[in-house]
Amino acid sequence: MKWINHKLFLKTIEIILLVLSFLMIFGPMMSLVLWSVAQKWYWPHPLPQEITFDYWKQALGIQKSLAIGAVSIVPAFFLSLGIAVVTVLVAMALAVPAGYALAKYRIPFGTLVMFLFLMPNAFPQQPIFVNILQMFTRLRLAGTIPGVILVHILVGIVFGVWITSATFRSIPPSMEEAARSVGASPFTAFFRITLPLAAPGLLASSVFVFITSLDEFTGTFFIGLPFVNTLPLTLYSSSGYNMQFASVIALILLVPSILFMFLIQRVLKAEYVGGMG
Amino acid sequence: MTVTTVRRKGLSVPSYIFLLAPAVIFMLLMYAYPFIASIIRSFLDKSGSFSLTNYIKTLDLYLKDIVFTFSVTLFNTTLTAILATLIAVYFRIRQNRITRILSALYKLPLFIPFVVVAQMMNSFLAPHGLLNIGLAQLGLINLEKPLQLFNFAGLSFGFIWKQIPFAVLIMHGGFQMIDNSYIEAARSAGAGMLKVIIRILVPMNKSSILVSLVLVYSQIVGTFTLPYMLIGGKIPTTITVDIAHRVNYFRDFGVANALGVFSYLLVLLTAWYYLKTKLGETK
Repeated sequence: MKWINHKLFLKTIEIILLVLSFLMIFGPMMSLVLWSVAQKWYWPHPLPQEITFDYWKQALGIQKSLAIGAVSIVPAFFLSLGIAVVTVLVAMALAVPAGYALAKYRIPFGTLVMFLFLMPNAFPQQPIFVNILQMFTRLRLAGTIPGVILVHILVGIVFGVWITSATFRSIPPSMEEAARSVGASPFTAFFRITLPLAAPGLLASSVFVFITSLDEFTGTFFIGLPFVNTLPLTLYSSSGYNMQFASVIALILLVPSILFMFLIQRVLKAEYVGGMG
Repeated sequence: MTVTTVRRKGLSVPSYIFLLAPAVIFMLLMYAYPFIASIIRSFLDKSGSFSLTNYIKTLDLYLKDIVFTFSVTLFNTTLTAILATLIAVYFRIRQNRITRILSALYKLPLFIPFVVVAQMMNSFLAPHGLLNIGLAQLGLINLEKPLQLFNFAGLSFGFIWKQIPFAVLIMHGGFQMIDNSYIEAARSAGAGMLKVIIRILVPMNKSSILVSLVLVYSQIVGTFTLPYMLIGGKIPTTITVDIAHRVNYFRDFGVANALGVFSYLLVLLTAWYYLKTKLGETK
């Protein structure tokens, strides 16, 4: 804009901002990359003296070496994946009808229902997990995979309901009414008209729930430990004594988050990100 | 299936009940019940009768940590507010190659989970970590006396790293919606750039700035992973870490719940604002 004078001065500031932002955002990520390949890194060398991909190979189950005394992350990976798939299926089965009802019907106690789905975003969730732990201990669900899945569904369903109801709300009711007026049953109208139109939004919210489950830490920490070791918990437990493995797992968890960000940014509503991690 | 059968029989139960019931029942059992239980149990002693012992013990042992949590939250929310607003305003008034690179860059941390952020900061901010090595290479610090960052400062670095992109994302949409004509009108009336930002851009985008701050604030109060992996049991630490210790080491759910109630109290104002705005939006 023409009222910005001192062009050179501004450009300098912009470039400083750019460099600082680069260092600030990539610095910590670089630290992970370096640690994941560091064979020998004696202080105070700025870079590792010897690098190796053994930690990657070992972690991914390609190589088995007892020398670096490490665990394979393959079981944790499949456990996390399995939990995430079941979580998505159940959470969406609960969330899609609820989201549809909230979008398309005038519900007398609607505000109360919305309130219930907004609460987890407004208040800290950790005390909830603590009390679920007590409940699950009585029900013998603590430390079991079904127990962990139930907690992941709780974390995911909130986003599921909000994103699906926003999606259904964005589809004009006239579309479904037009189908009904030419003789389609409510079910045909829903499955032939509304559902295909809502598909992208529903897919986005499924992916969202999937990523939330993959990354979930706090709930799994309380309900799952010490028997259910998902990827984030394996990262946590190796963080203390094995920086290399912790870094490899952290980088593996980083990939879906960044991919997902680029995938979803068109349909992304900022506030959904709120409860992540 | 249920919906059709009900309709055919002509029962007066509205079909949305069947659509809503599964999710609502799930939330009542898995959210509302534990939430209410956390408050009630904080007032019960080991024998199950009403008492304030949990609160007395909490204040006795953890007052310092409650104050610490509050100050970390307040400090980082304020810092995020200032920096994120500046960045979002900058993205609004300048559009060139640098802003395009920057806005892509600022999206990267959005979905990175806190457990990964914690591991990153754990290695990056360590006494012999990359940050200290880098600063020493530039001659800014002496590596014999590295910066100790597993405390308030490092925790803040982690929160800022994760929260600024989030706050910028929320504010960005609001700023983009402000029409250029407002800015030009103010300009032709002789207002400087600073005045345009303070008098026009920020006030017009007040609601999304507030919502982003409310979310950042309540997230920082509730975050467990980052302080747990960065500070752990050192004193002072955050409420969330204390809750984990109370449960894992002592199986002391009473004090854990009292600590939980304190964390509810810390977010009471922001939670009220958030619920009020969101419920207003959907009407």
